[in-house]
Amino acid sequence: MRVAFSNALVEAATQDERVVLLTGDHGYALFDEFRKRCPNQYINAGIAEQNMVGVAAGLAKAGLRPIVYGLSAFVPVRVLEQIKIDVCYEKLPVIFTGDGAGLVYSTLGTSHQSFEDIACLRAVPHIEIMSPCDAHELTACFRMALAQEGPVYFRMGKADIGPIHSALPRLQRGGLVQVRAGSHPVVLIATGSMVKTARALGDELDASVWSAPWIKPLDDAQLGALAADAKAFVTLEEHSFAGGLGGAVVESIAEATPIPVLRIGIGERFSETCGSHAHAMREHGLDLATVRERVMPFAAKWKAP
Amino acid sequence: MAKSAERTFTRPNMKPQFNPPRLRKTVVEMAFAGNAVHLGCAFSIIELLACLYGRHMRYDEKNANDPIRDYLVLSKGHGVMAQYACLYELGWLERDDIDKYFHDGSRLKGLSDAHVPGCEVTSGTLGHGLSVGVGLALAAARGKTGQKCYAVVGDGEINEGAIWEAMLFAAHAKLDNLMVIVDANGFQAMGTTDEVMKLGDLNAKFSAFDFDVLSVDGHDMNAISAAVEKLEAMKNGRPKALVAKTVKGKGVSYMENVNAWHYSRLNPDLYAQALREIEGASA
Repeated sequence: MRVAFSNALVEAATQDERVVLLTGDHGYALFDEFRKRCPNQYINAGIAEQNMVGVAAGLAKAGLRPIVYGLSAFVPVRVLEQIKIDVCYEKLPVIFTGDGAGLVYSTLGTSHQSFEDIACLRAVPHIEIMSPCDAHELTACFRMALAQEGPVYFRMGKADIGPIHSALPRLQRGGLVQVRAGSHPVVLIATGSMVKTARALGDELDASVWSAPWIKPLDDAQLGALAADAKAFVTLEEHSFAGGLGGAVVESIAEATPIPVLRIGIGERFSETCGSHAHAMREHGLDLATVRERVMPFAAKWKAP
Repeated sequence: MAKSAERTFTRPNMKPQFNPPRLRKTVVEMAFAGNAVHLGCAFSIIELLACLYGRHMRYDEKNANDPIRDYLVLSKGHGVMAQYACLYELGWLERDDIDKYFHDGSRLKGLSDAHVPGCEVTSGTLGHGLSVGVGLALAAARGKTGQKCYAVVGDGEINEGAIWEAMLFAAHAKLDNLMVIVDANGFQAMGTTDEVMKLGDLNAKFSAFDFDVLSVDGHDMNAISAAVEKLEAMKNGRPKALVAKTVKGKGVSYMENVNAWHYSRLNPDLYAQALREIEGASA
């Protein structure tokens, strides 16, 4: 996934000289190829994220296409006000890439873990939120992000969990992408790293599974049609269950096609212990076994035909 | 330096509409129409903006969004009535904008707003504008467009950490097309700058950040222009800083150095007195 991201950056910068990559002194090895191929489009803005976002806004006002790279704990969360005031209010075409989202930095603790980033941005007007699940989706999403007229938050989580799609998915703005079809009346909708977990449970249940490369906007018509055909949804994300994908799905269907929704995500707690990503996922109940224990009794309320 | 610079400046090339009493009159009219605050914060930068719009900045009077304009970034967005007065003179704002300030449905807000033609940034939450100005200056430097960026910051605003981030970055990026103009009126919302968060020697601080820096009387138009020209003549890769010693509330006797005029509002008597004093100054 990181190779795909590096390739996407190089592709963007070589195809469009307006593209400028700014990083807050992060991503050293990740940008080796970019710095070699496009040295004049690379700016290390130092450990000064507020200024970096303001500078990106100024560059975008002057007609450039900045891509701001940071860890998602810092971009967008630390610089939320700069994103809101300097970029979103003017609908400037800045792409914010938040790397290491969720519990990726399991050993570094709370400062580097971010599971509030989606919630923070969902209420900010004009910015879109993308959250690809694998390298194929990342590549397709990044091309869509580059084509946007306004700001985009590009959320990148656990990068090494393998492919979901077998080729580049066809994306429509805000649309879910089907990962597997199924006959069970409960439909699983997941984003980022949790799509893999959703697919495993979908296989067990013979439930259809959808990936959400966009959190904002969501295609309300598509979700409404899915909800009309289903008995219930399960949403899964490596993010707080409040204000993330689950919240967005519930809000989308609440008015016209309300159905029960089980939201799987991180609860009202920070990480207390240190360990591997797998350990952090277990601590927060996002490992496959714990998620299965929650999803199976919920799904059992509705029998497969 | 002052003598030769003053001779230079007496060339009759200041656009006459950027006349300080005339600009102050517009500010007072707006503030009274809108029952608005921040009068003192606008009055301290009148001469600075008059000089920039009237003499130094290059822009297309028919097009506020001309892509090769010089930029005036009002980072201290609470001084925006001074900028509105200038934009009104340019015809980018209408008389109605002045007379119906803060009326329901009107378009001018109490803080700089990038949706207004001529306002480059949305500010008032402080410490934002300078970084955006740095980005504008950086884009101009990369594109070799020759554009300049003048960023007006308040001395109180310099409390914000992002200002120091922007200064470090501007020097590192060698942006000699950027000029930070400090409205050093010595006050911020709750007291003097020394009472709230001691600034110390601001010139020394800018110098330490690799800026070329000059101090100037921020109400002496000749001195301001001479200093701007002197700084701009130094094409040495160093960003510029002009520390303008100003008087908060300048131009109306009961407001000068009275910090209450950060937040106080005009009543009809005070309004009449302000107009009398301003018109007296222009006579």
